[in-house]
Amino acid sequence: MLGATPLLLAGCSGELSALDPAGPRAANLALLWWVMFWGSVVLFALVMVLFGLAYLRSNLIARLTPAQWIVGGGLVLPVPVLVLLTGAALVLGEQLLPHGQAPLRIGVEAQRWNWTFTYPDGIVLDDQTLHIPAGQPVDLAVSAADVIHSFWVPRLGGKIDAIPGHINVIRLQADRPGIYWGQCAEYCGEGHDIMQFRVEAHEPDAFADILARLRDQRPASAQPSPLRGEGATEPPAPLKGANRRSGGGQ
Amino acid sequence: MSRPDIRALVLLIAGFTLWSAAFVLLYALQALGCAYDWGAAHRPILIGTYLASLLPLAWLALRRPYETGEPQTSLSRAALWANRAALGAGILVFLPVTFATTCL
Amino acid sequence: MSEPISPIRLHKQLERIWMTPSGIGRLSSVNHTVLGKRFMVVALTFFAIGGFLSMLIRAQLATPHSAFIGPEIYNQIFTMHGTVMMFLFAIPMFEGFVIYMLPKMLGARDMAFPRLTAYGFWCYLFGGMILIGAMLAGVAPDSGWFMYTPLSSRPYTPGINADVWLLGITFVEISAVTAAIEIFVSILKMRAPGMALTRMPLMAWYMLVTSGMMIVGFPPLILGSILLELERAFDLPFFDPTRGGDPLLWQHLFWLFGHPEVYIIFLPAAGALSTIIPVFAQRQILGYRAIIAAIVAMGFLSFGLWVHHMFTVGIPHLALAFFSAASALVAIPTAVQIFAWLGTLASGKPKWDVPMLYVFGFFFVFVIGGLTGVMLAMVPFNTQVHDTHFVVAHLHYVLVGGFVFPMLAGIYHWMPHISGRQSLYRLSVPAFWLIFSGFNLTFFQMHLTGLMGMPRRISTYPSNWGWDWLNLSSSIGGFILTMGFALVLADMVLQFRYGRFFRRDPWQAQTLEWATATPPPSYNFAAIPRIDIRADGLEPARIGPVQAGGAGYLGFAREDRQETMGVDMATGAPEHVMILPRRTYLPLWTALATASFFLAMLFGFYALAPFGALATLILFLLWPASLGQKRDQGPVDIGMGEKAPLDVECDSNVSVLANRAAIVMDATLFASLLFGGLFLLVVAPNWEGMTPLDLPLWLAGTALAAAALAGGASLLARRANGRGGRGGPWLLATVLGQIAAVAMLVMLALALPEPTAHARQAVILALISYGALHCGLGGLMAGHGYWRLSQGYVSARRQTEMVLAWLWNLYAGAALVPALGLIVLLALEGATP
Repeated sequence: MLGATPLLLAGCSGELSALDPAGPRAANLALLWWVMFWGSVVLFALVMVLFGLAYLRSNLIARLTPAQWIVGGGLVLPVPVLVLLTGAALVLGEQLLPHGQAPLRIGVEAQRWNWTFTYPDGIVLDDQTLHIPAGQPVDLAVSAADVIHSFWVPRLGGKIDAIPGHINVIRLQADRPGIYWGQCAEYCGEGHDIMQFRVEAHEPDAFADILARLRDQRPASAQPSPLRGEGATEPPAPLKGANRRSGGGQ
Repeated sequence: MSRPDIRALVLLIAGFTLWSAAFVLLYALQALGCAYDWGAAHRPILIGTYLASLLPLAWLALRRPYETGEPQTSLSRAALWANRAALGAGILVFLPVTFATTCL
Repeated sequence: MSEPISPIRLHKQLERIWMTPSGIGRLSSVNHTVLGKRFMVVALTFFAIGGFLSMLIRAQLATPHSAFIGPEIYNQIFTMHGTVMMFLFAIPMFEGFVIYMLPKMLGARDMAFPRLTAYGFWCYLFGGMILIGAMLAGVAPDSGWFMYTPLSSRPYTPGINADVWLLGITFVEISAVTAAIEIFVSILKMRAPGMALTRMPLMAWYMLVTSGMMIVGFPPLILGSILLELERAFDLPFFDPTRGGDPLLWQHLFWLFGHPEVYIIFLPAAGALSTIIPVFAQRQILGYRAIIAAIVAMGFLSFGLWVHHMFTVGIPHLALAFFSAASALVAIPTAVQIFAWLGTLASGKPKWDVPMLYVFGFFFVFVIGGLTGVMLAMVPFNTQVHDTHFVVAHLHYVLVGGFVFPMLAGIYHWMPHISGRQSLYRLSVPAFWLIFSGFNLTFFQMHLTGLMGMPRRISTYPSNWGWDWLNLSSSIGGFILTMGFALVLADMVLQFRYGRFFRRDPWQAQTLEWATATPPPSYNFAAIPRIDIRADGLEPARIGPVQAGGAGYLGFAREDRQETMGVDMATGAPEHVMILPRRTYLPLWTALATASFFLAMLFGFYALAPFGALATLILFLLWPASLGQKRDQGPVDIGMGEKAPLDVECDSNVSVLANRAAIVMDATLFASLLFGGLFLLVVAPNWEGMTPLDLPLWLAGTALAAAALAGGASLLARRANGRGGRGGPWLLATVLGQIAAVAMLVMLALALPEPTAHARQAVILALISYGALHCGLGGLMAGHGYWRLSQGYVSARRQTEMVLAWLWNLYAGAALVPALGLIVLLALEGATP
């Protein structure tokens, strides 16, 4: 069944697609989806076939007793499926938790309608670009300054809410250097639809160079990121930047 | 409340009422243990509560139904099913106390 | 009673008592048939408004870079779409259906509290008008239908938009609260004699559980709305993280209501399916008792799911695991019902008709929604698709599949009951296929839109993310769906105008509602039949003429009274004769007074709001004036050669049961408040470095003592009255005790330093207010009992007022204990451990 997956995947690629994973965590989540998808197809087909058979008066099912219908359909069928699925999902969930310390921990603060990234040595980036090393896990400690937002880079992993007064940690990992897109997933007011950001993953050496360069540039953080436009594909994001709404609220 | 038909009606919701109480208790113990840092004692407390909550649920699920006439016969048969479901829900829903990470 | 009279004369006599006058007199109607239809018509009107809003959403999202409406308007539109569909359409729609249908299915002549039905209807109508009026004025709520704080708090929503939601929805919820209690009580006490609980049609079981769920499901939302409105209006920081509040508290309170609410909407629809499917399968439902157990399981499990809306807020994995497992397990009672329905069809002789088309639509759509629901219950997967269009697709599959398709099946099934005519079918079938294909075209590929990363609630998107064709096809599907609904509307109009008449029970259904004349008379049954078998296996065509002829219980018109039967809760044995209040404008006036309170709050005239509340209270005190008996009558004739006492002489009457249910509801609201206080104390930020509050706690102790004495006095009043002695002095003592308690609590509140400075003080103030309000209520009930006693309405046999005074005073005293305990705990926060 999973053999057809690559075929379907072709139609599911995209810069924000959870089905086009670019890291081990997102890949696990995509695999979970495909398992559940094919399982659901089978169960859905079963119910529809039974409904059809009921009308065609097939002798196959007309003689089933009430107990067989209810115990078979209501217990024997769903209980093992649900126990196995929930158990597997909980084990996967355990693996995805940010146990212990990742080599790098970056602070993320959301404020309508911008993202600010703070590195361990005090570098603060607010040009809507997050630099991370590729091939290793990164912890992001996410919070918000005003209302609730949600930090989501679909190709690298799941999302975590940015809640004022709380710090939530999510661990992400990119397999290869490149540019991955992220966005705010929790409705946060008028600028919600433009609250996107870039994640630039670099080879560890290059990442160290960039951090060093940024440290020297401080506090001129308003300048564009040194790597903008370098190499990797960069889809145009016409809603970003220039017409970013600011102010309001607060 | 000494009439068998009323007792059967009470039995119909008894199991799941206990299940709800155990749910609230375990959720509260999980939160309190993290907030006040119970450390190594946290999980044993949760597991103990889990097992203790299963005892009354098991008792209800194994009870013999009233079969002295209608409506108590039908009601208490339905109650037996509901209470067995409550026991199953108790076993499965609270099972993660044995392995899931408590405060992360 | 006397010699038999002709069915026509009996009809005229009963109709004169029960009818709703024409013209302006319609506003005085308290009849469940009239009000049920009004509920449904208004709900369908709101459905059309919500549908129109969804068209605007799909028009906006059809293409990238859309310039159709900007985010300011778009945010109001999607907020109103969700709000209207959930609160102004789905809930009132099934309430209307149940109010119309339930007494007819159970063999009663009306609901337990006809005037409360009318009051609920007016609250619903006025509350809905506030919301729609705000939308037309351009100040509709715009924080999303679940109103997350701090976005909905004063700093980020400075206008009245959020107040419109909080106050308008709370106003509307009054109708849900009154309906819940009424449905619960009516099912338990108002059935045809002989109809034991286990002979009820499954619809009644579904509604019994649903009403129980509403009784404990709505209070958290109502409490949350009150707290948020207090924060917005008076700056009490329950949800403000900078002052010890927590936005997550709102999410807990909202979803503690919000998830059961989905099942509250689904269960009545499932009840309709359990009624319709056996009719078309031509056999009784399979697995009656298993379905009862499944409904009970579903009712409880649905309260263990709420955090699955909050999997990404940073709650520890163990806690998420409880909710994940419960969310998965709730699929099992659902599967039991699905397979019971399939088995009923498979083992019967199923026939096709338009209602079955929609039942097919239900199976197709709802099963997909259920399967994606199980997916969403898995925590890791949820973190990817939460707040995306995948969730939008899922919730529409569940709600449209689980409510709208069964509703349409129900409309085609029961419309002949309302109109007395049968459909012509020329439009019905194409309308179904337009709805079915339009729905799936709109929402099926929306799962993929979400997986490809499109979040909910964005007003526009660039074309580089690959969402373009998905959105365009969804929009096209949406317009096909709308055409289908327009055809259904046309079909209904044609049926009312040109449908063909029928005799009785056109579908050969086997439930009691088809034994009434169609359209039904205002009193439903000229005589209430005795039911000795399960009530989904009856022969309405045989029962109908018999009851119309007056053979059965209460088959006569007596003393201009609206009479119906009250039965034993479990066995259905005849227990008492209920005398229902007749038509009156009081509910309308009371609802208008309530509206004045809500409008004063909405427009910030806070000094005027208490007058609205006071006017409402005074009008409510006028309600009992027309009820009751001034002398003991003993058992009266009920027909069939049997006798039963009047309701006022029976201490298990509906008033007592309803007040018990109301106390459960009130206690749930209070438990939510206690939970909120503890939650903030344990979890919320900015509680470090506190010092103990300097509160005169002796006032709290004295208040508790006074309330306890009052509670004791109310018990003595009841005992004395029950023995035939004088309860009056004890009632006066109760009133005095509660006045003292209120005075102490008010002084305690006045001594509270800076309630707006920190959530600690705000919670203490809320707890004190709750206590004072309930001590006051206890005193009021005791005073009311004294008044009724002095008027001669109370005796050793007629003791309802004494029981109610005792119940509410007992509750007031009992509630003060945990309230004061939490106050002490909060006040001592920061003391050395």
